[in-house]
Amino acid sequence: MSQILTVNDLHVAFPTDDGLVRAVDGVSLTLSQGETIAIVGESGSGKTVTGLSVMGLHKKGATQISGSVLLKDGDRTVDIVTASDEEIRQLRGRAVAMIFQDPMSSLHPYYRIGNQLAEGYLVHNPGQKKQAHARAIEMLDLVGIAEPAQRADEYPHQFSGGMRQRVMIAMALMNSPRVLIADEPTTALDVTVQAQILILLKSIQKEFNMGILLITHDLGVVAQVADKVSVMYAGRVIEQGAADDVFYTPKAPYTLGLLKSVPRISTHGSARLKAIPGQPPSMINLPTGCAFAPRCEYTSDALGDICATDRPALLGTDSMHLSRCHVAEPTRDRLFVKELKEVRS
Amino acid sequence: MLNFIVRRIIFAIITLLAVSAVVFAIFSLLPFDPAALTCGQRCTDQIIEGNRIKLGFDKPIYIQYWLFLTGIFLGRSYGEGAAAFTCPAPSFGYSFNENECVTSLLTEALPVTVNLALGALIIWLVAGVSLGVIAARFRGRWADTTSSVFVLLGTSLPTFVTGLALLIWVTIKWKLVPLSVIGYTPFLENPVKFLQFFILPWITLAIAYAALYTRFTRAAVLEILGEDYIRTARAKGVKERAVLLKHTMRAVFAPIITLAGLDFAGLIGGAIITETIFNLPGLGRLTLRSVTEFDLSIVLATTLLAASVVIIMNLIIDMLYAVLDPRVRV
Amino acid sequence: MSNISALRRAVVVTAAGALALSTVMVAGATSASAAVTPRAGGILTFLEHTPRLDHYDPSRIYTGRDLAFMNSFMTRTLVAYNPVPGAAGANLVPDLATNTGVPSNSAKTWKFTLRPGSTFEDGVKVTCESVQYGVSRVFATDVITDGPGYLQAWLDIPKDAEGNSVFKGPYKKDAAGLAAFKKAVSCSKDNRTITFQLNKSVADFNYLATYGVISPVQASKDTGDKYDLRPQSTGPYKIEENSKTQMKLVRNTKWSKASDPVRTPYPDEVVILFGYDEEVIDQIILGDTIPTAVSFGEPLSTNNDKFFSEASMKNRRMNNPDPYARYFAFNVKAMPCLEIRQAMYYSRNAKALLDYAGGPTYAGSYATGVISPLLAIDYTPTKVVGPGSADFIPEGNIPKAKALMEVAKTKCPADYKKATETGIKIDVRQSVALNDTIPIDTAAYARAGIKVTFNPISSGYYPTVMNPEKQSDLSASGWGADWANASTVIPELFASYGGFNISQNLGDPAQKAFEDKVNIAMKTTDRAAQSKMWKALDAEAMKAFWVLPTIFGKAQFVWGSQVAGVFFWVPQGNPAFGKMWINN
Repeated sequence: MSQILTVNDLHVAFPTDDGLVRAVDGVSLTLSQGETIAIVGESGSGKTVTGLSVMGLHKKGATQISGSVLLKDGDRTVDIVTASDEEIRQLRGRAVAMIFQDPMSSLHPYYRIGNQLAEGYLVHNPGQKKQAHARAIEMLDLVGIAEPAQRADEYPHQFSGGMRQRVMIAMALMNSPRVLIADEPTTALDVTVQAQILILLKSIQKEFNMGILLITHDLGVVAQVADKVSVMYAGRVIEQGAADDVFYTPKAPYTLGLLKSVPRISTHGSARLKAIPGQPPSMINLPTGCAFAPRCEYTSDALGDICATDRPALLGTDSMHLSRCHVAEPTRDRLFVKELKEVRS
Repeated sequence: MLNFIVRRIIFAIITLLAVSAVVFAIFSLLPFDPAALTCGQRCTDQIIEGNRIKLGFDKPIYIQYWLFLTGIFLGRSYGEGAAAFTCPAPSFGYSFNENECVTSLLTEALPVTVNLALGALIIWLVAGVSLGVIAARFRGRWADTTSSVFVLLGTSLPTFVTGLALLIWVTIKWKLVPLSVIGYTPFLENPVKFLQFFILPWITLAIAYAALYTRFTRAAVLEILGEDYIRTARAKGVKERAVLLKHTMRAVFAPIITLAGLDFAGLIGGAIITETIFNLPGLGRLTLRSVTEFDLSIVLATTLLAASVVIIMNLIIDMLYAVLDPRVRV
Repeated sequence: MSNISALRRAVVVTAAGALALSTVMVAGATSASAAVTPRAGGILTFLEHTPRLDHYDPSRIYTGRDLAFMNSFMTRTLVAYNPVPGAAGANLVPDLATNTGVPSNSAKTWKFTLRPGSTFEDGVKVTCESVQYGVSRVFATDVITDGPGYLQAWLDIPKDAEGNSVFKGPYKKDAAGLAAFKKAVSCSKDNRTITFQLNKSVADFNYLATYGVISPVQASKDTGDKYDLRPQSTGPYKIEENSKTQMKLVRNTKWSKASDPVRTPYPDEVVILFGYDEEVIDQIILGDTIPTAVSFGEPLSTNNDKFFSEASMKNRRMNNPDPYARYFAFNVKAMPCLEIRQAMYYSRNAKALLDYAGGPTYAGSYATGVISPLLAIDYTPTKVVGPGSADFIPEGNIPKAKALMEVAKTKCPADYKKATETGIKIDVRQSVALNDTIPIDTAAYARAGIKVTFNPISSGYYPTVMNPEKQSDLSASGWGADWANASTVIPELFASYGGFNISQNLGDPAQKAFEDKVNIAMKTTDRAAQSKMWKALDAEAMKAFWVLPTIFGKAQFVWGSQVAGVFFWVPQGNPAFGKMWINN
């Protein structure tokens, strides 16, 4: 499996009147062909900003970006952070595509579906109108839209929510990109439709051998499709590792909190739901120590008040499963096992 | 679509009938004696009563309304003996102040106002929308700041100030545009004179409206630029220029056209100040004059005309909207 | 209001008055070009801010300036004022007639003989019959509205029970009425001599013959109300176009100099451009943008200093006392409470308005009545209002006004309520000057607790306010004598038959006795005794406050550098338009 996207120590900050918003603060990840990495976190944790950085969709003047986002484009590798606007534009939709959370508002209401799809092809293959339309119908067919030729002449408002997300996926596939960023692709959809879309994503991933960067807050989605998981909190990756590892042996108190807050129907017939207390911190005035410390119930298990004074590093005994926490890893493992038992009982 | 148009046209006709009836009723309720209004200073009861019968004001209001309506289709006669004359159909009555049939007054004034409004509309749409797009595109930069100064000036300076300033400086002091001594000339008759006649009034009106449209367009473009489907377009790799001019403007046009249609209709009803300053013999001045002179037949006709224009513009806007926005298509 | 274009009827000053006038005419320009022989050609252009003149029909014009204009170019009358500078301009000269009228039967019968060779613009001869027909039109008061009313009052035609003439004009088929008319206005067999039979002695009837009400009209060309837009010409020019933007006069080829001793046409065309903003007109003249242009109205008072200090304007301006007394006519029917009318007079800030209008230099002096000082022998300060009266304070006599309002509060509570709450509505002619004068007025009246609103009228001012149905509570107005006798002032403004009585004072208890005295004065042939009566009646009218007198006016005129031959035509109170020529 070859690496197609490498994000290294990515920092994204937005200057505002109130101060600098550090939306992404040192994120690194590596995506290979055919692989799905999920970025998980609450809203405002920096996961969407990370996705947009890969697309190069941040306004240069209004954003401070550092680090690197290395994207494979055929034989060459382009660093999105330093590339010119035009270079990035030529990559967008071709080497890397993105689908968005709300398929209702993500399609242009005034243009026919077929034309919107074809445009994505035409932008990168100027003049090839015929091919573009054929490709559009082919992709609509591929994502499971019946009578694709007729539907291509229709407008977005004539499609249901799930169908629109299929259209969005078809649009993303127009140029067979190697990287697909899916930003909350199922959040706005009905539960039954969610599953269909996830299955569709999986199947096209196989067909196109794409790497998918799945941005979601829904651990259920992660469990179904992700190979690797990065859990983000306040702009930083707080835990990352193989999906199974993160699920079964979470290392960060925050990840544990997320798992506990997933509603699930227990075998005892009673629903248990445990929300993480408190609010995510302001991205302008982050605490000097661990960003999660104010909400963490394990700070007393760490040395002194280190949680309030020092930032934890991303470490782990297993180099494939890292986390940020001042509490010693064995202590955490011990403490968490009990909690997990309760969750999974 | 055809069904939709037919329905809307029938609706428009019914609305016009209703408007004319209401306007007619309002005028008949005004505390003026219409017969006395047609009488001069040496007015005797005899003359007033004579005029009342002559002009049909003695009849019940619904008969008068019926006469007014039939007059539109059949024409009406006035006076007696040597002084008798007819206002041919479509007749909206006779003005004793202007000594003319109202219809001929309207047909003289309407082209002037339509040309004024249309020319100004084109200028302010082009100028206002492009400035608004530029301001939105370069939000916070000097182009945006400059345009906001223009917006402030355009919206705060009353048209009689800009109009008078333009007329006095451009025409009289700098002599850049000749003073239109001859008055209104139809475009086909003499395009140069037509342009000379209208250029300053156009600019005067356009400044005021362009400023509004700049502000409106800037806000609309910024709003649309924040839409998810614009992000989608960018994600496809669409060039920034096309994002702005195609994807964004396509969505901005529909509300702008609605606004422009209504503003245009409003101007037909009375660009009174501009017409007065530049001495344009249009509908606005005619209306103003007839209001101050209690010339009810003209006021009635111009009110109806203004209402018709608004109704027709609304019809056109609705049809345009159906073309522009697939979501409202029937 | 400084810039009201007052109803300008010509005034004839007496010899003494004219003399006085010529000495104050220093500022007036009988311009340097007088030495140059006038040349023909060019387009003489008048710039006017209203959208049209009130009337063009000679039977309906009653505004002095318009009358002077139309009579200079279009409408020939039986006799005319001599269009020359100075006092001689007030002299009558024969026009269509061969003489200035021959009275007989103690001036109850007047004969005028037409000169041969005069024609209408279509070449048809002017005959006695056409003059007779023209005169008959004024009796069709339902069609031919406005215009002087002397003929209806003076011609010896029987009246019906309501006091109206039995003759109703030429548009109604009524043989008896027509016969009665033809007895009063008859034609000789040769169709050249017209005879007027009057119901009383009118020694100066021939002055009325300078008005269009006695002018020829072809019956076959009479279009009734529509004649107002396109009257036929008998003068050197005829209407080629009369639209909403301009009236264009071109030479009348059927007119011959030989038949017309009064007019000497110079320009090829005479054009009135309508509807220009007053400020724009002033700028055009100041900048000499159209060198052949004449401002048809007065300059804005705020521009007077520029016009009269600018060296380049030296030969392009004049400033003369004009024959008009300016006033506001109370609509007495709507404002029956004398105390409130008085309170308005005393709370008005006459000084602020006079100063705004240019002070004594340009605006004139505070009026003491409605008889102008230029009407020399009939004039004396009334001592009731204005300088010389006990309570007159130019800035306003607020204590007095307040005291009057206190009286009104109990005496006429309904009117008091209207004055203090609803507001008194004032008709004014639309002008940019209103932007300045309305606040002055509003503030001044407010000092006595009086609320006022304004009704600016853009065109057809007099036809509007002269209609009782349309008139508000007060109407700005101005009046000058028709000729050198206050008989054309006091009865015209205040008698029941007055042609310009817009005070609606017939219901006023004081009016009856007043009118009786007017009738005695009208019958008085001893001019000295009569003038004494006019002076007393002027004072009595002021006491009744049917009008709110403001100023005895002055008028300014300005024109472009290529307009020559401009002089003040004393009896018309305007420049002699027909003598202007283009010098280029």
